[in-house]
Amino acid sequence: MKALDDVSFSIEQGEVVLIVGSSGSGKSTLLNMIGLLDSPTNGNILIDGTNTTTLSDNQISSFRNKKLGFIFQFSNLLTDLSVLENILLPIQIAGSELSSEKDAIDLLKAVGLEDQVYKRANKISGGQAQRVAIARGLINRPSIVLADEPTGNLDSVTSQTIVDLMKSMAKKLNQTFVIVTHDRQHFGEVDKVITIKDGKAFQDEEASTMEITV
Amino acid sequence: MKLAKRMLFNKRGSLIGAVLAVTIGILVIHVNFVIFQGLFDAIVRDISEYRNGDVLVTNEDDYIDKSDSTIVRFFERISYVEAATPRLSSTAEMEITKNGKLIEKTRIPVVGVDPFTDIRASTVHETVTEGTYVFSRNSIVLGNTVANDLGGAVVGDNVKVMIIDRWGEEQTKRFTVSGIAKSPGGQGFDYSAVMHIDTLRDMTDRVDQTGSIMVKLNDPSKAFEVKEFFLASFPNDDFLAETIEESAEQQLAGFRSGIAMINMIGYFGMMSSAFAIVTIQMMLVNGKTKEIGVMRAIGAKRKDILIIFIFQGMLIGAIGAGVGTATGLGYTIYAKETKMSFNNSLPLEVSYNWEKIIQTALASFVLAIIASLYPSYRATKLLPVEAMRTG
Repeated sequence: MKALDDVSFSIEQGEVVLIVGSSGSGKSTLLNMIGLLDSPTNGNILIDGTNTTTLSDNQISSFRNKKLGFIFQFSNLLTDLSVLENILLPIQIAGSELSSEKDAIDLLKAVGLEDQVYKRANKISGGQAQRVAIARGLINRPSIVLADEPTGNLDSVTSQTIVDLMKSMAKKLNQTFVIVTHDRQHFGEVDKVITIKDGKAFQDEEASTMEITV
Repeated sequence: MKLAKRMLFNKRGSLIGAVLAVTIGILVIHVNFVIFQGLFDAIVRDISEYRNGDVLVTNEDDYIDKSDSTIVRFFERISYVEAATPRLSSTAEMEITKNGKLIEKTRIPVVGVDPFTDIRASTVHETVTEGTYVFSRNSIVLGNTVANDLGGAVVGDNVKVMIIDRWGEEQTKRFTVSGIAKSPGGQGFDYSAVMHIDTLRDMTDRVDQTGSIMVKLNDPSKAFEVKEFFLASFPNDDFLAETIEESAEQQLAGFRSGIAMINMIGYFGMMSSAFAIVTIQMMLVNGKTKEIGVMRAIGAKRKDILIIFIFQGMLIGAIGAGVGTATGLGYTIYAKETKMSFNNSLPLEVSYNWEKIIQTALASFVLAIIASLYPSYRATKLLPVEAMRTG
């Protein structure tokens, strides 16, 4: 049985794209493939002109680090580190500091957490953690930020705050967001919605620069 | 590195467990060394102090015929030599009358000493716990065990000593007990009697003969040089000169293998510590599965994950080696300062073997790293999605 079959779509720079579908439809699998956390048995995933399916394990890691940002359902912050250290983690993994602390603090200001900089990640609320995760996803200026059910674990008020924050960051930074959600209505108007049903993708709009074929 | 440190230090229980494992491994080796090497060195010390000196001169076949004062003077002109003294040995039968009852004891080792030079070259006189050391030709010092066997002989008692001379004739002489010798651990002359060397020479009819010359050095490390110099100076005599290692070899050979076995047990203990570290590191990896997944997802390579856990192994090794060495040294200092002994046995001769101390610390450090390799490798094998789901 195939989790995804004959899926082909393109995403343009700066777009906010929602991937929706019922539980078990394959939307998270699709996001994992775009995020190079999983690989297709057949087909290509092209990001910024690179066919990612041909990359080695190390190249995939570097690619994920430089070109992709991740926001997970449960924020997945490292509880051993402070808020600031969590945001700086992708930079440290890349091995470059490059005035990144200032960037991290600017991002924390942008997500409204400038007063939580040195707090341990396990001492902040779920909503705050998700905002830190957004900042961490953006710190490397990735080509795409991939968010897997980013509001799935939050109450509706906090969820709306997170959605608004992601949309505003996308607009402000001209940042591409690909968001998996089962909560379509929270997001209001977005650039594109891809619906996954029985492993197949149905798209409400077309674009051309970023091509994903599975 | 910071993350590796935080991950480890935030799991205090695991950290303490791992550090304790290394610490105990090192401590076992230190304790073994202090006790068994200390015991070995104490026996060497006592053999050297009481019987063989740092250099022991005998005749290859029989007794030394050259004048003992000539040889003693020769040695005392060497700057490394503190003193030299002649000794003569035989066996005797003793009789004592206590409370009207005659008590006999046979085959008692008898040592003849020159009281004037002996107290400079040996510390046997310090083992005389009651009375005084041999001071005249008719005084005798009885070992504690001999005194007990003679019905509790005490200072001032009169004993009859019978010795078979070189011609097979029995020679008898009466002595006054001047002292009772008792040494810790019985390494001294507890089972012997000590008399004036000239008296023993007379009784054995070995006038001008000497059994051995015991040489005490002010720098024992020069024993070989002194021995070689002596042999070269008397090329035409049948002298046999031996350092303490050579002269006591027979007595110490068995002990040496015992120490080697005990050291092996210590190193096996250290191996157990390594297994404990593997287990604890595996627990750390299992406890951090989600974090490993997240780090891999945001771009950490397998190598990065490997480095984190190996660095943790290095931290455990370094802290464990530090704490273990400090604890071990603490025990060593305690043993040395308190002149540790067990059940009134001889006090341990505790020494600081820095080479071994550093070697043990380094071995445990390296072992902790090696023990971290498998858990670290396991951590690198985790797939990001699976790891995040599991954690």
